[in-house]
Amino acid sequence: MADLLAIQDLEVRLFDRTGVVLAVRDVSLKIGEGEVVALVGESGCGKSVTALAVLRLLPTDAQIAGTVNFAGRDLLKLPLKELRAIRGRDIAMVFQEPMTSLNPSFTIGNQIGEVLRLHKGLRGKQARDRAAELLSLVRIGAPEQRLRSFPHQLSGGMRQRAMIAMALACDPKLLILDEPTTALDVTTQAQILDIVRDLQKRLGMSILLITHDLGVVADLADRVAVMYAGNKVEDAEVHRIFAAPRHPYTAGLLRALPSRGRRAGDAQQRLTEIPGLVPVLREPLHACAFAPRCSRSTDQCVKESPELSPCETDHAVACFHPEPLAAAGAAR
Amino acid sequence: MSIATMPGTEPTVVLTQPSRQGWWRRFRRRPPAVIGLAGVVIVVLVAVFAPFLAHYSPVVSQFGHVLEGPFSPGHILGTDELGRDELSRLIYGSQATLEVGVLATLLAMAVAIPIGIAAGYYRGAMDMIAMRITDVVLAFPFLLIAVGLAAIFGPSLQNVIVALGIAQLPGSVRIARAEAMALREQDFVQAAIVTGVKDRVILFRHLFPNMLSPLLVQASVSIPAAILGSALLSYLGLGVQPPTPSWGNMLASAQTYLYNDPWIAIFPGVAIFLTTLSFNLLGDGLRDLFDPSMR
Repeated sequence: MADLLAIQDLEVRLFDRTGVVLAVRDVSLKIGEGEVVALVGESGCGKSVTALAVLRLLPTDAQIAGTVNFAGRDLLKLPLKELRAIRGRDIAMVFQEPMTSLNPSFTIGNQIGEVLRLHKGLRGKQARDRAAELLSLVRIGAPEQRLRSFPHQLSGGMRQRAMIAMALACDPKLLILDEPTTALDVTTQAQILDIVRDLQKRLGMSILLITHDLGVVADLADRVAVMYAGNKVEDAEVHRIFAAPRHPYTAGLLRALPSRGRRAGDAQQRLTEIPGLVPVLREPLHACAFAPRCSRSTDQCVKESPELSPCETDHAVACFHPEPLAAAGAAR
Repeated sequence: MSIATMPGTEPTVVLTQPSRQGWWRRFRRRPPAVIGLAGVVIVVLVAVFAPFLAHYSPVVSQFGHVLEGPFSPGHILGTDELGRDELSRLIYGSQATLEVGVLATLLAMAVAIPIGIAAGYYRGAMDMIAMRITDVVLAFPFLLIAVGLAAIFGPSLQNVIVALGIAQLPGSVRIARAEAMALREQDFVQAAIVTGVKDRVILFRHLFPNMLSPLLVQASVSIPAAILGSALLSYLGLGVQPPTPSWGNMLASAQTYLYNDPWIAIFPGVAIFLTTLSFNLLGDGLRDLFDPSMR
C-alpha cells in the first residue's frame, strides 16, 4: 500500500499556565491509501494533539518538530494558502462534539454549500443538489427538507451525520475522525459506525480514527497504534492487537474491557483496571513512561526509555519486557 | 412552528421547519417587542414629519404667552419661558435627539465590532494594543472628550455625536471581544478552519452572526444612553445649541422653573423616557428574533 500520510518523528510541545507540556514525543505513523488506522489511548495521551498537528490546528505558541508528509508534501512547512486548499478538499475532519461543531446561525444546506462553493465552485441549484446527495449518502431522510434545517433542530446523531456529510463534500483522500461517537448514545454510535464503514469501502478513502473506545477500533480499523504519554508504544494490525498484544499497557487496556461470557463475581474473570493515571510530562523522560503503573517493570525500565522496535512482522512495540505471546493470548 | 406546515415527512421524526417569511409572524407574538417597535416608529415619523405636525415655530418667541400652563388656548402642552409652544418644540426636538442617539451608536458599533472581533480572535499583540487603548478611553471622562471637542471645533451636533460615539466605544469593543474569545474555542470555528476557509470568512460568517444577540442588546442600551448623554451635554451648553430644540436642552433650561412650572421639564422627560423604553423593548424583541433556537 502506498503511503498517503507519513508522520515522521513528530514532537509537539504545548504551553499552559504552569509551563511546557511534552504532548507528543517522537511519534511516527503511516497511513496507506484506503487504510483505516486507529490511534488509541487514554485522555491526555497525545492522540488528539497528533491529529490536530496534521492539520496545523494547534495553538500558535505550540512548538512542533518533525515532518507530516501528505501526498509528497510536508504539511508542517506548507504556506498557509496552500494548506487551506488541502484542508476540506484532501483532508477533512469530524469532531467529537456534534452539538457544537455546526454554526448555529446557518442552515445545514448553507454550511455544506460553503464547502462546495469553496473547493468545487458549485453554486445555487448544483450546490443544493450535491448537498442533498451528501445527506442521503449519510442516510438522512428527506434531505431537501433537512438542508433548510438549523443545527438546533436536529438530534445529535443527525448532526454528526451532517458533519460527516460536510467532511465528505469534496471526496477527501483522508478523513480524520476525532472520537466521532463518544458524545452519542449506543444505538446512534452503531449507526454512525455503520455509515462510516460503508462509505469507507465505497469511496476508498483513508481514515485516521482517534478513539479510546476499543469496540470502535475493532469495528472499523485495519491497523492500530497505541499511544501512551505522548509516545507510540505499540503498532500492529488490528487482529494482532486484540489477539496478541505485546505492550503491557495494551494488554491492560484489553483486560479492562468486558467481553461476552464473563460473569460478575467470577474471580478469575474479574475486569482489571490499570492502577494510576497517565502522567503529564513536563521534561524529557529517560525511562519508560508506563513503568510506574506496570507490573512487569524492572530496574532497566526506570533507567532507559525503550525504543519502538519490530517484534514480529508488521508489529512493533516499545517495551523491554513485552508480554509473552502465549500469556498475552490468554489475557483475552 | 406548526407541524401542519410540513407535509410528507416521516412520521417518526417530527421536526419544525424554519420559515423564511415568518419573521413578522414570530415578532408579532411578542407584545412588548411590538410596543417597542410602535414607539420607535412613532418617534421616527414625528421627527420626519415635524414641519407638518407642529403648528408653531419651535424657535420664535412669543413674549405675550410666557409659561402658559398645559391646556391653555392654542397651546395644548403650554409654552416655555420664552413663550414657545411646548408641543412644537417637543416635535422638532425629536429630530436632534434621535439623530444623536442613533448615529452615536452606529458610529461606536461600526468602529468597535471589527476591532473587538479581531482582538478576540487573534489575541496576542493586536489584542493587547486594542485593549489598552480601550482602557485609556474608558478611563478618560467622556465629558472631558466632549469639552475638548467643543473647545477645538466649537459646539455642534456632529461633535456631540462623535463625543458620545467615543464614549460608547469601550463597552462595545469589550462585548465583541469577549464574544469572539468564547466563540473561537467552539468546535464549529475549528470545523470551519478545517474546511479551508479564509480568516475573513471565519470572522464575518462564523463569529459575527453568532454575537448579534449581545450586540443588539448593547445597541438598545447604547441609543438611550446616548440620548441621555446628549441631554447632559446640552445642560452644560455643549450640545445642540439654542434656539434649536432637543429634549436634552429643553430639560436643561426647564430646571430654573421646576418649582412653579414643572410641566416644561416633565414633557421632555417623559419623551426621553418613552423613547428609551421603546428602544429597549425593541432591542429585546430583535435579540429573540435573531436567535435561531427561538424559531
